[in-house]
Amino acid sequence: MDFKERILTAMEHQEPDRVPVMGLVMDPATSNQVLGKQPADIGGLLNDPSMRGQVKDIINLSWNDIMYSNFADALEASIKLGFDANWTVYTSMEVVEDPQCKTGLAWHDAFGRLWEMTTDDKGNMLLNYICGLLTTEDKWEAWVENKRPSFDMMIQNVAGYHRKLVDNYGDRIYPIGYAAPGIFENSWQPIGFVNFSRFVYQKPNFVERVIAFHTDLYLRYLDAVMQSGVEVVMGGDDLGQKTGPMMRPELIEKLLGESYRRVSETVHKKGRKLVWHSCGNIYSLLEKFVEWGFDGIITMEPTAGMELGRVREQVGHKLVLVGNLDVSYLLVRGSREEVEAAVKKAIRDAARGGGYILSASHSHSSVDPKRLEWMVDAAHRYGKYPISI
Amino acid sequence: MNSDEQLGTLKESLLGLDMEGAVEAARSLADGGGQAAVQDAVSAVSEALGVVGKRFQDGEWFLTELVYAGEIAKEVMGLLTPLLEAGAAEAAGTVVVGTVAGDLHDLGKNIFVSYARGAGFKVVDLGVDVPVDRFVDAARESSALALGMSCLLTSTEGEIGKVIAELERQGLRESVKVIVGGAALTEQFARHVGADAFAPDAITGLDTVKKWSAS
Repeated sequence: MDFKERILTAMEHQEPDRVPVMGLVMDPATSNQVLGKQPADIGGLLNDPSMRGQVKDIINLSWNDIMYSNFADALEASIKLGFDANWTVYTSMEVVEDPQCKTGLAWHDAFGRLWEMTTDDKGNMLLNYICGLLTTEDKWEAWVENKRPSFDMMIQNVAGYHRKLVDNYGDRIYPIGYAAPGIFENSWQPIGFVNFSRFVYQKPNFVERVIAFHTDLYLRYLDAVMQSGVEVVMGGDDLGQKTGPMMRPELIEKLLGESYRRVSETVHKKGRKLVWHSCGNIYSLLEKFVEWGFDGIITMEPTAGMELGRVREQVGHKLVLVGNLDVSYLLVRGSREEVEAAVKKAIRDAARGGGYILSASHSHSSVDPKRLEWMVDAAHRYGKYPISI
Repeated sequence: MNSDEQLGTLKESLLGLDMEGAVEAARSLADGGGQAAVQDAVSAVSEALGVVGKRFQDGEWFLTELVYAGEIAKEVMGLLTPLLEAGAAEAAGTVVVGTVAGDLHDLGKNIFVSYARGAGFKVVDLGVDVPVDRFVDAARESSALALGMSCLLTSTEGEIGKVIAELERQGLRESVKVIVGGAALTEQFARHVGADAFAPDAITGLDTVKKWSAS
């Protein structure tokens, strides 16, 4: 079997020749290390007052190329590491002047989030969501109105971006496009969680309007991702936090259930499969995921108490499981024996009967490529079907 | 309505996530009584927040409810605190909290701050991206019972060990308990860096600090 057959067989809950392994490589820190590349010192350039303005303009003008280059490297690194598949993600970002940020520059995404850039000790760029820019109803309305042309442009870019990655790398790895961020994340993060929580109780109509807007936009976004032609697509929303869902499941159903059903229908109408990402502790939402029509789930964050065996027991083969090796310790500084033991446990817990793709639980800039190599190697050694460990 | 009924309404409103009702009840109590009535109202908020926290830990309530109840408490305490005699609202001890250097996330920390203030702690909130020295200086200057560090990013978790090492170097480690929490962290990590406790969520963290305060 080749990588594609392996993934598609697992997605049908059948046993391929061996357990497929998916990379969640996206951080330049990981790709650069695997490919032996020096990081582009964007942080240093942005911190240099004489260069900052020019660099900002160059980033804004060439953002699509930067994104492409980032994921081209991620795919190249994933191929080198021996993964069968890797995700590809597009983010629309603009650098703007902001004296409150350390570098004097802030990163705004299309949906109204503020990000801040930092660099790791090797100079690799890291972007982290900081807060929302749309803290009031008026600000949200104005942003959405002003950004309509940008949203249209973003949809066009998304389609071309994923298609190009598939065209250039699809013969060596299975690039699974991820439509992200999701409807819930795009609804609350630009507003901020405290404000969003207030609005849920004080301005429910506004919250419903925000979600309806982002549902329509997300469906267009998802359709653009699917133009890559790949049979599996990822969607997602972080619905969980460390100890449970972020909102009452009944409230999630009320606010987002119909949106998620439409997401699944949109994917299935195109004959594709949908793998859903959510961080956090999501045991109490697993049946909902089945009901909403998701074909699989990815992540199952161990630091939030998610265990593959328990998930499999709870949902059987109603969902394909993708995950969930720990990125807080195991794939950062775990020993080879620990990585191998975790791979064996994951295979034992989830792989029988197919429907399982082994991967890290998430991307993370601290993940050590050597540990990823160990993970792939152990998967190849112990993941041959029929499973005998 | 007598003051007992008003106290009941305050608690019920908070637990019913009725901000308007809770603020109205607090205002009536503040207007109609002296220092004792205000103190009773503060205690009622504290009790209600305790119930909210328990419901969250038991999985009956969720983050949006926890956050919104905290927001209601914040509004109510904003009315009551200025009416209290100095020190009366901060009898349980001082807790210094902040998000470690390089990390700008504060949702979990802010929930902790709201609930800890509601529970009668004086909270020195250092905000986000807090360097080692500021944690240590604040712990020393406030004679803190506990120091809480929040960390969402694995890339910044190393800061926690640096703060603990600096507390030790300055001879403060024995006098201040250290608690850590955040998405990136685990119990194993907390033990590894020498923290006294790990908080999987803000409410569990507060329970731990309450135990330290009582001991």
